[in-house]
Amino acid sequence: MAALLRHFRPNVVGDGVTGISDDEDESAMPRGRFVGNTVLAGAAVLLGGAAGVVTVESAAGALFPRQDRRILRFLLQLEYLQAEFYSAASARGRLRGELREFAEVVGAHEREHVALLEKRLGKSALPKPTFDFGDATDNASRFARTARRLEETGVAAYIGQGANLTPRSIVSVSAITAVEARHAAWIADFLGHRPAPLAADKARTTKQVLAAIRRTGFLR
Amino acid sequence: MRLEELDCDGALTDAITEMHGDSRAEFLRKTAIGSGALLGALAAPPLAAAKVDEVAILNYGLGFEYLQSTFYTEAERVGTIARMGKRKAAWARTLGAHERAHVAILEKVLGADAVRKPSFNFGGVTETEGGFTQTAVAMEDLTVALLTGQLPRVRTPALVAAFFSLLTVEARHAAWARRIAGVRPVGPALDEPKTLGQVDRVIRSTRFISSLLPRTRARRSPRFTG
Repeated sequence: MAALLRHFRPNVVGDGVTGISDDEDESAMPRGRFVGNTVLAGAAVLLGGAAGVVTVESAAGALFPRQDRRILRFLLQLEYLQAEFYSAASARGRLRGELREFAEVVGAHEREHVALLEKRLGKSALPKPTFDFGDATDNASRFARTARRLEETGVAAYIGQGANLTPRSIVSVSAITAVEARHAAWIADFLGHRPAPLAADKARTTKQVLAAIRRTGFLR
Repeated sequence: MRLEELDCDGALTDAITEMHGDSRAEFLRKTAIGSGALLGALAAPPLAAAKVDEVAILNYGLGFEYLQSTFYTEAERVGTIARMGKRKAAWARTLGAHERAHVAILEKVLGADAVRKPSFNFGGVTETEGGFTQTAVAMEDLTVALLTGQLPRVRTPALVAAFFSLLTVEARHAAWARRIAGVRPVGPALDEPKTLGQVDRVIRSTRFISSLLPRTRARRSPRFTG
């Protein structure tokens, strides 16, 4: 228990990523390709509470805190990754039985998460990246292991960022987060891993999540 | 109230079924909400910064975790878990261990502000594998619903972070329990939040908490303090 308490450091306000200004103009970023390194890293710079909350207009016209915008943009990129992976796997047609069901059901969830985050962000949403999943959808085994990786990364990302959101965004994000954790537990149990390894799940910073995503090799 | 009058078997399921308006068979197929996230994992003494209503939220969570941990512990004690297959027993024991861990953390966090542990009477649901499993599924789903409902109300960042960390664990529990029970681990794309009042109504209707006072004619309900 003491180890658990020590491990969980609620240090999720700010990743310590410096050097990228909050005033960075994302419209200068090239569109149509996944500028993951820069865009996501930019999204990783979160406003700490001390800096105050700057609000910006979203497409819907509602005041939208800038810190929420950065975080939701980041989370949307993760959801794009998951949604595209499951779409690709279903289209590839190599899955049967429960894994096929998993890809279809979970894929539908991720697409709904994408829609929700896109709606929240409005014009502030960043373009969907292009992914190359290589042989990850070739067979059941590769698919399942990849799915687990993506789901666990997603869960840790949501835990890492949740506390930095304003309450209005937390309403949506908590509902998404719970379902992502269900996904993770499902695929873990399917693979014979522990569906709930810890009494309290770990947070991951955007830096850590970015690194994990890059390691997949899916970013073109 | 005599013991014979209690319909404990499936009480929780029926209560939720009534709330959701589904048939009993449908109930397990839908995503429910969860309950009882314990706060824990707060290294510093955060409650000094927490607002009064956050203490109330924490205490509600603690009460719920008492409910869950006692449920799992009792099932172990009466031998129900020992009679399960290896895989299922491992599931039941892990969930029990987690809920007990959550109780310990939350008690520590709340300190003198922690509510007293209520008395529980689970009737027969901890004594049969079927009753236990069905109730566990319902309880874990209810925990998730409680947590998703409470998360936006918490203002202290460290507490929000802790809640997220526990929400995902309870959601894992819920999905795992469903797979153990042979049903799909997930429901809709978004887990639906429930208010404290809604969760409370479900719990009261199970009559698991034997130390809860009966409703009076007072306009305000007794607080869920056990």
